[in-house]
Amino acid sequence: MSEQGARLVRILLLMFLGLWLILTLFPLYWQFITAFKSAAETNRTIPTFWPEVWHFENLASVFAEKSNFNALVDSFIIATGNTLASLVLGTLAGYAFARFPRQAGGENLAFWILSNRMFPPVAVLVPMFFLFDAMPWGTDSHLSLIILYLVFNMPLATWLMMVFFRDAPRELEEAAYLDGYTPLRAFVKVTLPLVLPGMISVAMLCWIFAWNEYLFANLFVGTQVRTFTIVIPTFTHGSQTLWNLQMAFSMIAMLPPVALFILLRRYMVRGLSLGVVKG
Amino acid sequence: MARMQIEGLCKGWDFPVIDRLDLTVEEGEFFVIVGPSGIGKTTLLRLIAGLETANAGRIAIGDQDITALPPYKRPVAMTFESYALYPHLSVFENIASPLRARRMDTAAIRAAVNEVAELLRIEALLDSRPGEISGGQKQRTALGRTLVAKPRVFLLDEPISHLDAKIRHELRQQFHSLEELRRVATLYVTHDYSEALSLGDRIGVMGRGGLVQVGSAREVFMRPRTLFVAEHLGQPAINAVAAHIGGEGADLHVRAGNSGFGFPIGGTRAAALSGARHARVTVGIRPQHIKVLRNGEDAPGHHVIEGHVEIYEALGANGVLVADAGGISLTALTSPEHAFAHGQPVRLALRTDAVFYFDSETGDNLLL
Repeated sequence: MSEQGARLVRILLLMFLGLWLILTLFPLYWQFITAFKSAAETNRTIPTFWPEVWHFENLASVFAEKSNFNALVDSFIIATGNTLASLVLGTLAGYAFARFPRQAGGENLAFWILSNRMFPPVAVLVPMFFLFDAMPWGTDSHLSLIILYLVFNMPLATWLMMVFFRDAPRELEEAAYLDGYTPLRAFVKVTLPLVLPGMISVAMLCWIFAWNEYLFANLFVGTQVRTFTIVIPTFTHGSQTLWNLQMAFSMIAMLPPVALFILLRRYMVRGLSLGVVKG
Repeated sequence: MARMQIEGLCKGWDFPVIDRLDLTVEEGEFFVIVGPSGIGKTTLLRLIAGLETANAGRIAIGDQDITALPPYKRPVAMTFESYALYPHLSVFENIASPLRARRMDTAAIRAAVNEVAELLRIEALLDSRPGEISGGQKQRTALGRTLVAKPRVFLLDEPISHLDAKIRHELRQQFHSLEELRRVATLYVTHDYSEALSLGDRIGVMGRGGLVQVGSAREVFMRPRTLFVAEHLGQPAINAVAAHIGGEGADLHVRAGNSGFGFPIGGTRAAALSGARHARVTVGIRPQHIKVLRNGEDAPGHHVIEGHVEIYEALGANGVLVADAGGISLTALTSPEHAFAHGQPVRLALRTDAVFYFDSETGDNLLL
């Protein structure tokens, strides 16, 4: 390629990156400034791009109601419970598919499990509601959403863990057998540490999905249990939407996943780049 | 006490890989299995280790039948061709692994690992990860992991095949000097014949289905039972020439088709081969038994044939010359002092008393 051509490509690339940055960062910027505006300022016909007066008390007023804080706790319980269940089931199933594909039902079963993830959730929304309503724990409980989200997270966890296990050399397990470890001990000593980075990235994906889920939560829970995703839209005053409080709360709710990602990004990158675990 | 006995071992998937293999390795014996890649050497080790299940047959160590035992209950240690070191553990923990499996106490583990590390000269590496050390050091670590376990049978799968020549030689000597390996039954697998000849108390040449010949290195090299064995041992490989035996009475000779290549069969060998008169045979001549004569040089007791040089490789300690002799390509080992040019006429002296005769169909050595 000529030097001029290379420069053109660079300029186009930079333009694309710039556009991409604007598209991703603008909503965050808008959320941030809106969170500190007064209710009146958020409803101007001509929007302001910087708060005229910073209303830091918006953050405090979100937590003036204890139920709002409880919503974060409910979301946390559901997301964490679901992540643990997805990890345990996905790790066991993924190991079975990776090491004993024939006995575990083969590629077809593995793919069927994954295909459940591709289902449009709306299609099963109402049947699921009646199904869970018939359960002893009902729909309005932590357990109902923990179990329900398995429909989405377990296939993901199973499939990804299968890939990670396939990538962990079987010979290392065999070496452990010859060292005198039973299959279970060999799994814990050798195989699990090898897939740990993968497990952490799977855990993050599951957790973030369950944390953010709105559609099912909106229909299933709301009295005993309220996740923050269904609480945010209730911030209204009469017919007026309290954009500033909604943005303040959503900004707070964003912190845990962002913090998680920053803390674990090392594993995330290692986990998703697979082959790195090889010796 | 701890000899290893294998009887009638069979293993196959779509086709038989190991077919009714019998083998006994005595306590203290270093037995080397040599054979081409993909012939089933590793499968044999995996069967003994319990990583594969035999279709039939029996494996015993001492008085104990281990055929049905899972690998973690077998008194066997194995090094893998890939070393199979645990990448997330230090060299120390890698070596300590078999002891941790037995839940030995920490002080005893430390002492045992240090002892093995000292023996293998890897004390300085104990805190490193496998990813940080060289191939030779990985091999030593893998060996350390098997030594520390004090098994009754050692299985070594191509332990030094993937290392550079220099380290390979150094580690080969290490295998000679390791007392531990000389106290129990050791089965060592390689595709490199020189390793086999150098290390084996006895060696077994593995061909399709099982062991073709078992014996001391010297015996297998000097008296190969089949052409396959002869072709597999020795570098450069033995010259194999399709020919037939002709002649009358005690006056037998070999001739290769319509080419000009041939030589008389003398003395006792003629008597031994008289039954094979007119038979089609494969003549095996080792390159070191073909001498390239210098101008005017004589070779009494040799059969001299004329030819010209096709390829000459100078390899430092010796040279390899491929010559065309009456339409037949012959490889000869030469001394390195003389270089040869392509097309140059040469006189080749065959040591006819060192020639092997193999049945052209079965490959059996006709002189055994």
